[in-house]
Amino acid sequence: MTAYVLRRLAYMAITLFAMITLMFFMFRLLPGDPTATVISPALDEGAREAMRRRFGLDQPLLTQYLAYLRNLTVLDFGLSFRTSAPAWEMIELRLVNTLLLILPSMIAAYAIGAFGGALIAWHRGGKAEASVVLFATAMQSAPLFWLSMLAILVFSILLGWFPTGHIVTPGRFPGPSWRMYLTADFLHHLALPFLVNTLYQLCFPLLLMRSTMLSTIGEDYVELARMKGLTERRVLYGHAMRNSLLPLATTLPMILGWAVAGSVVIETVFSWPGLGLLMIEAISGSDYPVVQGAFLLIAVLTILGTFVADLLYGLLDPRITYR
Amino acid sequence: MAILDIEGLDLRYRTDRGPAEALSEVSLRVERGEAIGIVGESGCGKSTLLKAVMGVMPPNAAITAGAIRFEGRDLVAAGPEAWRRIRWKGVAMIAQSALNALNPVKRVDAQIAEAITTHESRTRAEVEARTRELLALVGVDPGRARDYPHQFSGGMRQRVLIAMALALRPPLLLADEPTTALDVIVQDQIFRRIGALRGELGFAMVLVTHDLALVIENCDRIAVMYGGLVVEEGPVAAIATASCHPYTLGLYNALSRLGQRRQPVSIPGRPPDPLAPPAGCRFAPRCPFAIERCHRERPVMQALSARHAARCLRAAEMNDLRPAAALPETWEGPQP
Ligand SMILES: Nc1ncnc2c1ncn2[C@@H]1O[C@H](COP(=O)(O)OP(=O)(O)OP(=O)(O)O)[C@@H](O)[C@H]1O
Ligand SMILES: [Mg+2]
Repeated sequence: MTAYVLRRLAYMAITLFAMITLMFFMFRLLPGDPTATVISPALDEGAREAMRRRFGLDQPLLTQYLAYLRNLTVLDFGLSFRTSAPAWEMIELRLVNTLLLILPSMIAAYAIGAFGGALIAWHRGGKAEASVVLFATAMQSAPLFWLSMLAILVFSILLGWFPTGHIVTPGRFPGPSWRMYLTADFLHHLALPFLVNTLYQLCFPLLLMRSTMLSTIGEDYVELARMKGLTERRVLYGHAMRNSLLPLATTLPMILGWAVAGSVVIETVFSWPGLGLLMIEAISGSDYPVVQGAFLLIAVLTILGTFVADLLYGLLDPRITYR
Repeated sequence: MAILDIEGLDLRYRTDRGPAEALSEVSLRVERGEAIGIVGESGCGKSTLLKAVMGVMPPNAAITAGAIRFEGRDLVAAGPEAWRRIRWKGVAMIAQSALNALNPVKRVDAQIAEAITTHESRTRAEVEARTRELLALVGVDPGRARDYPHQFSGGMRQRVLIAMALALRPPLLLADEPTTALDVIVQDQIFRRIGALRGELGFAMVLVTHDLALVIENCDRIAVMYGGLVVEEGPVAAIATASCHPYTLGLYNALSRLGQRRQPVSIPGRPPDPLAPPAGCRFAPRCPFAIERCHRERPVMQALSARHAARCLRAAEMNDLRPAAALPETWEGPQP
């Protein structure tokens, strides 16, 4: 087990290093001069040259790469091209906003999805099951941005129940402040994107859980549990659902990817100042330091998530041995 | 009072092609401490019957008539919660596919403990001691109680299931082909263990098997099932020497006995379709002794002696027919 964890950590380090390297060269191979946004071509040749030297852009690529690596070790992604603030600081601020929206939403989606799927499979064959499955399938195949816009149209514009976007009413908190998160206004703004994302993301675990449960219910150990005189609740939660969680756990790494993709879409449509929106802004503004930082962060989170999922799976299924 | 008294039980499965009559008019009495063997071809309803007694039928099954009395109390009428309380405490079962019957992600001791704590309030230490005692009883090293099922061999898992079945010392044990997946030596060990435990604890047993020899060795009485019906029932000795149903006679022919030169003779034809059983006697289409009446008339259970009964219109003539039934030629006759 310890050997396994150590080896996995080593692999993770290698993956991460490959990502970092890839990112460095990818951005430099992109068409167009990334420095054009900061070093205006309108400046005269001498001034441009001076700026290039100041940013180290006159150095050979390898030297630049080594400098990039050195800076990464202290989480220095450089200064944003647009705001001149340190890129990492911008990312940090936005990360909190994203986590506050996406993390609870994904947890809720998976909890509701797992329980819901288990329950409809347990009470299979009814009208309720058919309608839930139909609804989930339809939801799952609808594009998230479209659902988000539909939700805004119906609940914000027509019914006026929720604000159309932003994290708090614009102007209430001019500077960044953690007190913002303690207001009812924040929760009010959080509600709709949270609901839309949760509803959208719960379809996959729900349908997966249902189909796993349907086969688990027929297993001999479920019958034995019932024969032992366990109450139906204990058969359901202690045996049928417990075992059906295994396939769901294997999908954890995928889920992380969807969470990221979902956050980009949701934040864009709801103008939620999170990491996803920051990325969109940074990409469209060619703000490379910020883009790089955000990409790296997502890569690290995904790699870590996969690792945690692997360990979690081993905890859930004793038949898995780590070698 | 009989520990188990099944009376006139009808059970149907809903299927895509219509209702399948899996059990019809099944009546069976099991006295305290008695062992009954149920034999019959695959698909005749043996497992269905045992699961019905446990009250764990699949959702597409429905009991349409009859009573299952446990210590005099009809469980069908008593409702699911009363039935649940009887399960394992009153009647435990070793299921047919025992190799997959343990939950792969739970420790063996936890699965035994669960059976105990569901019905009795015990301290953790008591449950643990009892679990270890049970494992030792069936010949599994108690030191392995904290293992997972996949770490056990098939024979060990089988023993664990027996231990589990005896956890609450139920007065009745149902065993559905408890050793089919095991080799003959392990099978023998397990039956010897069950026999010893029965001598010690005195529980009654219903043993389902394809193996007549096992019934003869382990049981007091036999019930022969065919197409969802009990077609003959009686003491092992009476059935072995003076069976009064052609199907039972055929089963005996199909059994190869040690020290016997004769080749086993199989019964030609196939068991009836539960969706459309024959109008008369269900065995008539395959029966070498069937007369015209057999295809029209449904035989009822006829008492031949105090404890022996057969469901055959010609049961009374069987003493004369029996010698012919022993001949292989009889079973090769012109049948559909
Ligand atoms: N869940 C079910 N749905 C529909 N039909 C079923 C179901 N379970 C069993 N049957 C049918 O009921 C009949 C009796 O099945 P059962 O399992 O009781 O047979 P069995 O005597 O135990 O056979 P075996 O010796 O092969 O275990 C068979 O015709 C079978 O096809
Ligand atoms: Mg069976």
